[in-house]
Amino acid sequence: MSDQNKGAWRQLWSTFFGKTWPMWVGGILLGAFNVFLFLIKSPWGGSGTYISWGQNLFRLIGILGMDHTTVLTRNLYGVLGTMTVFGAFLGAMLSKEFAIRVPPAGEMLKGFLGGCFMAIGCTVGKGCTIGGYLSGLPALSAGAIPLAIGFGIGSWLALHYLLWEMEKLPKMSSGKSVTWLAAKGKGGAWQPIVGVIIAAFLLIGGSLFFKGDRVFTWFAIMGLILGLISQRSRFCVTRSFREPFMTGDSEAPVAVLAALLVGLLGFTIIKYMGIGAMHPLGERGVALTWVNPNFWLNGLVGGTIFGIGMVIAGGCAVGTLWRMGEGQIKLWFAGLGFALLAPISSKWIAPAFLNILPEWMHMPVFLPDYFKYWGAVLILLVIMVLWYVFVKWNERTGKFSAL
Amino acid sequence: MDVKVDRTLDCKGLSCPMPILKMAKEVKSMNSGEVLELLGTDPGSKTDIPGWCEKTGNEFLGLEEEADGVSKYYIKKA
Repeated sequence: MSDQNKGAWRQLWSTFFGKTWPMWVGGILLGAFNVFLFLIKSPWGGSGTYISWGQNLFRLIGILGMDHTTVLTRNLYGVLGTMTVFGAFLGAMLSKEFAIRVPPAGEMLKGFLGGCFMAIGCTVGKGCTIGGYLSGLPALSAGAIPLAIGFGIGSWLALHYLLWEMEKLPKMSSGKSVTWLAAKGKGGAWQPIVGVIIAAFLLIGGSLFFKGDRVFTWFAIMGLILGLISQRSRFCVTRSFREPFMTGDSEAPVAVLAALLVGLLGFTIIKYMGIGAMHPLGERGVALTWVNPNFWLNGLVGGTIFGIGMVIAGGCAVGTLWRMGEGQIKLWFAGLGFALLAPISSKWIAPAFLNILPEWMHMPVFLPDYFKYWGAVLILLVIMVLWYVFVKWNERTGKFSAL
Repeated sequence: MDVKVDRTLDCKGLSCPMPILKMAKEVKSMNSGEVLELLGTDPGSKTDIPGWCEKTGNEFLGLEEEADGVSKYYIKKA
């Protein structure tokens, strides 16, 4: 191969794995892949993975009466999220960013507690930042709005807790930490090599395992891709809610808006056209996909609790998955807290709360039922434009930013 | 890096947003012209720290990657 050709391949590799992708590139790609997921079966969601992990763990131990739960490998979102961890792991290995990063003990505790908050929040609010918002808003579900307001309130509260903690409890974020397996300069070439081997193993093993089951095969592949894109672009919904109140930086909010915009267009087309209406529930079933009963009070309360958790943990449901894959042990603890508490909250805590609310405070509301399709899309676009204007104005003036 | 370091901040093992929060607090307490050396392991810091410096008008002097996965960032207070 001539030197020019080698240079071209190196350039291509470097584009993907040499440096971090702009976050808005990740946003547009993730928005598009979310549409592909909907075309395959149903849109992206994060919390279902943790519920499945937890249920399977309790089933194996034989406690809490979860012996009838679906096995992880037969749960679509269990498969999707688990593969997201592997996809992020591949992204980190190929770009030599993988390392086991063990933080000070206080941080691991914060990860665990943040995960517990997220578990309660997503079961009360019937959705997390991905299923309820990044997919919920494009799904034209009114509940996405109170959820998003809740994420904002929760982020603000938790950010101010973190600022207080640094003043009063500095020991929480300092102390002994360890880093293992980091790729050392030129000697780090083993990471991409091992990464390629594991990728081949996953693709071959996965396709044999799910052989003949098209939906599961595609969800496994999509999980890998979503994890890889998320890790390479460091796409972070938590950041999109926290950053306006922290540094004022608009990169993450704009990236999430990009994902929402692409998703909104794609989901609206699928729902309006009734694509995939061979579904047993027919056209109406397709239209109501991902319209969850979270309008409005449980969405607001659950979103706030979830928002607190994601900022303390440092990642939402999917943000936690991809950071687990890149070796951040704090997020392993977040995942553990999330997985342990989510099945319990889903079975007992959330129903207890929802039972005391009147029906009209936790309804599924499909916006086109009230405003037609064009009205629903228009309302959501106006809200997105207002958020964009606010974020950009705040970036310039720093009026709402703590740093 | 060939600069006189006035303070060192250990952010090893910490993930987003802790390195930025701790850095902002530390820089706030420094005098103009002083240099902070920050030790970190979060890949996100590679874009976050220069970005924060640019936004706040502080000078990002550069980063050095050590063998053990630790990156050293140098920030000069404006």
